[in-house]
Amino acid sequence: MRTTTRVSAALVAILSLAASTAQAQSANITATAVVFQAMTVTGARTLDFGNVFPGVAKTIAVAAATSGRFDLTGQNSANVNVSFTLPANLTSGANNLPIGTWTGCTNATNTTTGCTSFTPSASTTSTAFSGVGALFVWVGGTVTPGGAQAAGTYNGTVTLTAAYF
Amino acid sequence: MYRCLIVLSCLALATATRPLAAQSTVTGIRNLDFGPVIRGVPSSVSPNDPIRSGRFYVKHIINRQVQVQFTLPTRLNRVAGGGNMPITFATTDAVAKGTAPTSNPVTFNPNTTITFTLTSSADFFINLGGRVSPAAGQATGAYAGTITLTCTFF
Repeated sequence: MRTTTRVSAALVAILSLAASTAQAQSANITATAVVFQAMTVTGARTLDFGNVFPGVAKTIAVAAATSGRFDLTGQNSANVNVSFTLPANLTSGANNLPIGTWTGCTNATNTTTGCTSFTPSASTTSTAFSGVGALFVWVGGTVTPGGAQAAGTYNGTVTLTAAYF
Repeated sequence: MYRCLIVLSCLALATATRPLAAQSTVTGIRNLDFGPVIRGVPSSVSPNDPIRSGRFYVKHIINRQVQVQFTLPTRLNRVAGGGNMPITFATTDAVAKGTAPTSNPVTFNPNTTITFTLTSSADFFINLGGRVSPAAGQATGAYAGTITLTCTFF
């Protein structure tokens, strides 16, 4: 009988110890970042439709001498997304000249030969810098003068936005 | 009788200790990924960013408590060597949220220790954001550092 009491007391002590024990565990994750050099974006050439005539649409292809061109520099071989803010009209005072049917092409060297075609838009297009951190982007489009289009000089702004990804 | 009590005490001890060992876990499930950052331009990741925020999963026992404590780096080291970059964590850069539909997110300071009582779910996620500040002349390349979450289960 004495033995039984001692064992029971020991059991209570063990259970109390187990219930009050806290247990610690650890886990790791990694914080990562990739440092790139700053990017530059330069509007290198204006998209120039030259003279256009009422009622006659005119298209400038990306390979044309008067297509628009942006020159970018950045981290060697880095991926980059480009997107555009494009006008729906060129304007001359209160007069509008519709512009659309945008075309685009990118290349790692300054030539449209062998460039990669895309459709410029507000949505991103993924491309990459060359091994020496260069990227060239050409833009073409079509203007559609109305039959009674007012004479004058029409302008609009094309904006390219680029971001590493 | 004596033998019987000894067997019972062993069974009772095993039963009492199994829940913490088997049911209480902490797991790192997503790295805190700042992605590309530009020299001289600080970059932040929100703890609510579903892709770039760091993430841990913690599982314990309903109505019990768990104390969480981060060990946070102050700098990320350049993987290829030759430099490091400051990293900081703001007072609102950690968010804990239980897995139950009724669980509300709790924003807390990852620089301090906090204890949660698990009232609506036995498991929860902790998301972690942060901020890196590359210098203007920061060496380009990949940087990394270790984030540790230690949980003490009660």
